[in-house]
Amino acid sequence: MSTAQAGRQGRSEADRRRREGGLSGLKRRPEVGALIVMLAVVLAIGFASNGNAFNALGLKNNLSIIAQFGIIATGACLLMIAGEFDLSIGSMIGFAGMSMAMMLKWGLPFGLGEATPATAFFITLAMTLALGFLIGFIVTRSKLTSFIVTLAFLFFLRGVTEVAFRVINQSTQISGLPDFKQDSWFADLFGGEALSWIYSLWFAFGGNVNRFGAQWVSGLDARVVWWVVISIFAYVVLSRTQAGNWIFATGDNRESARANGVPVEWVRIGLFMFTAFCATVFAACQVFDTNTADAAKGNLKELEAVAIAVVGGTLMTGGFGSVIGVFCGAITFGLVANAVFFIPSIDGSYYRVFVGVVLLTAVFLNESVRKRITGGI
Amino acid sequence: MQSPFVRLENVVKRFGPFTALNGVNLSVFRGEIHALLGDNGAGKSTLIKILAGVHRPTSGTIYIADDPVSFVSPREASEAGIGTVYQDLALNQLLSVTRNFFMGRELYWGPRPFGLLRLEEMDRITHDEMIKIGINISDPRQAVGTMSGGQRQTLAIARAIYFGAKVLILDEPTSALGQKQQMEVLKTMMRVRARGDIAIIFITHNEIHSKLVADRFTFLALGEVIGSGTHADLAHGDIRTLMAGGVEMRDLEAEVADAAGSRSG
Ligand SMILES: Nc1ncnc2c1ncn2[C@@H]1O[C@H](COP(=O)(O)OP(=O)(O)OP(=O)(O)O)[C@@H](O)[C@H]1O
Ligand SMILES: [Mg+2]
Repeated sequence: MSTAQAGRQGRSEADRRRREGGLSGLKRRPEVGALIVMLAVVLAIGFASNGNAFNALGLKNNLSIIAQFGIIATGACLLMIAGEFDLSIGSMIGFAGMSMAMMLKWGLPFGLGEATPATAFFITLAMTLALGFLIGFIVTRSKLTSFIVTLAFLFFLRGVTEVAFRVINQSTQISGLPDFKQDSWFADLFGGEALSWIYSLWFAFGGNVNRFGAQWVSGLDARVVWWVVISIFAYVVLSRTQAGNWIFATGDNRESARANGVPVEWVRIGLFMFTAFCATVFAACQVFDTNTADAAKGNLKELEAVAIAVVGGTLMTGGFGSVIGVFCGAITFGLVANAVFFIPSIDGSYYRVFVGVVLLTAVFLNESVRKRITGGI
Repeated sequence: MQSPFVRLENVVKRFGPFTALNGVNLSVFRGEIHALLGDNGAGKSTLIKILAGVHRPTSGTIYIADDPVSFVSPREASEAGIGTVYQDLALNQLLSVTRNFFMGRELYWGPRPFGLLRLEEMDRITHDEMIKIGINISDPRQAVGTMSGGQRQTLAIARAIYFGAKVLILDEPTSALGQKQQMEVLKTMMRVRARGDIAIIFITHNEIHSKLVADRFTFLALGEVIGSGTHADLAHGDIRTLMAGGVEMRDLEAEVADAAGSRSG
C-alpha cells in the first residue's frame, strides 16, 4: 500500500467538518448579515441625528414606522420561504382600510345597523382572509406563478377600493371618524398606546422629560406590540413547529416535499391568508390610530415588504430565511425611512437612495452567509 | 424454502397504445438483494413505479406476503411498507439532515400542524440511525446540501428503513456517484441486507455492482422478462448478454468497431 493511502486511514467524512463554537458558530446563522447592516444603520443614524433618533419621541416615531414595515414583511418573508410572492399586500392594506372605515362611517352592509370597531374589523378580516384563500387557491390550482396572480390582485383590489369609495362615499377619502380608541378597548388595541409603563419608568429614572419638567411621551404605538407578537408567533411557527418544517420544504424542493407527504398546497394557501392577515392588522392600526382612510393607502408597500424580507436574509427562490433577520431588516428600513426627520441636512429622496444601497449591501452579505451554511447552493 | 415477500404475477402496463410491460413475473425475498437489470427503456422504472403506487397496472396482480394488494397512491404503498428511493432522492438541500429525515413525519407535541417539534429527540434519532447504517455525521443540523452524493443516498435509505420499509426499492442509486461513493452505497445496501428482514430491489446498469451485491437477478428487455435466476444459476457470460437485452457482447463489439471503421474510411 502506498504511503499516500496509508496516511488516509482512519479518516472519515465526519472529520472533515471543523468543530465550531461560540463566535464562529454565530457566523453561520442566517440572520448575521441583517444584524450587521442593522447595527451599522443604528449607529450611523444615532450619530448623524445627535442621538435625537433615539430620544423618547424619536424612539416612539421610529418604532411606529418600523412596526408597520415589520408586520407586513414578516408575512412576506414566510411566503417567500415557501417559494411564493405576494404583490397584493399594498392593495390589500388599502382594501382593508377602506372596508373598515366605510363600515364605521356608513354602517354594516345589507342594512345590518351600526358598526362597532370589532364588527368592522372582523367582517373585514373575513373578507381579506377569503381573498388570501382565493389567491392561494388560484396559484396552487392554476400552477401560474404567484407573481402574475398577485400582480392581477394588486390592480384588482386597488380598483375595487377606489370604485367602492367613489360609489358609496363620493370621495376617495374618509376623514373625521369619531375617535373610537377613546371608548372602545378593541379600537385601542390597534390604534391606541401601549407599553406606557416603559415610558413611565423612563420618566421615573430622570429621562423622558419635556421643557416644563413633566413626562414628555406617554407610550408607544400599539402596532409595536402587534409587530412583536406577530414576529414571535412567526418565529416559533417557522423554526419550532411541524408547519415551519413544511414551509421550508415547500419552498426548497416542492416535489420532494410532496413525495414525503407535505401538504404543499395547503401550506401555500395558508401563507397567502397569513399575508392577508398581516395587511389587515396593518390597516386596522392605521385606521384606528388616525381615524381616516384613503384609497391610496398601502401603495408600494408590497415592494417594501419584499425588500425588507430580502434584507433580512430571505432567499428570493425560497427555502431559506429567518424571522429574526426580517425583524432586523424592518428596523433598518424603518430607521432609514424616518431619517429625514432626524437629520436636517437630507431630504426625502435620500430615503430611496439609501434603500437601494442597503438592499444591495444586505443581499451580498446574506449571500455569503448562505453559501457558508448550505455548502454553496 | 421461504415464500417471496413481494410477488408480481403477469403484470402488464400499457400507456395508450404502447406496451411498457408485457406480463412480467418477479419474486423478491426478504434479506436478499434482487437486481433488476435491462437496457434503457426496458421498463424497469415503470415496474417499480407500479410497486410504489405511482402507476396502476393495466392487468396482473401484486402480492405482498401472499396477499394481493392494489395501491392507489404512493402514500398507500409506503404505508404497506414499500420504501422507494428515487434517483432525485426527494431531499431538500437547504434543510438540515434531521429535518429531511423526518420530513412529513415529524415528532411533535401539540396539535398538528402547529405542534412544537421535538428537535433534540429528532437529532438524536437521526444521528443514531445514520451511524447504524454506517455514516457518522457529526452535526445532524448541517444542511443536506453540504453532504456528499453517497451520504445523501444513505440518508434517503436510512429514512426509508426507519419509517418501516419492508421492501426497499433503489432506482440507480450509484449512477450519479464517483467510485468511492458508489462503494459506500453498496456497503450501505449490504448492511441493510444483513438485517435479514428487508427485501431490496436494486436497479442498475452496472454489471460489476450487480454481481457484487445481488443474490438474484431479473433481466428485462422491451417490457418482458428475458431471464432470471440466482447468482449461482447464472454464468458470468449470461449476465452480460442478458443485460444487453440478449445480444451477444461480441456482436456489439463488432458493431462498435464497424461504426469506428466507417468514420476513418
Ligand atoms: N408515463 C408514460 N407514458 C408513456 N410512455 C411511458 C411512460 N413511462 C414510461 N414510458 C415508456 O415505457 C418504456 C419503459 O420506460 P422505463 O422508464 O420503465 O425504462 P427503464 O427501464 O427505467 O429505462 P432507463 O434504464 O433508461 O431508466 C419507455 O419506452 C418509456 O418511453
Ligand atoms: Mg429508469
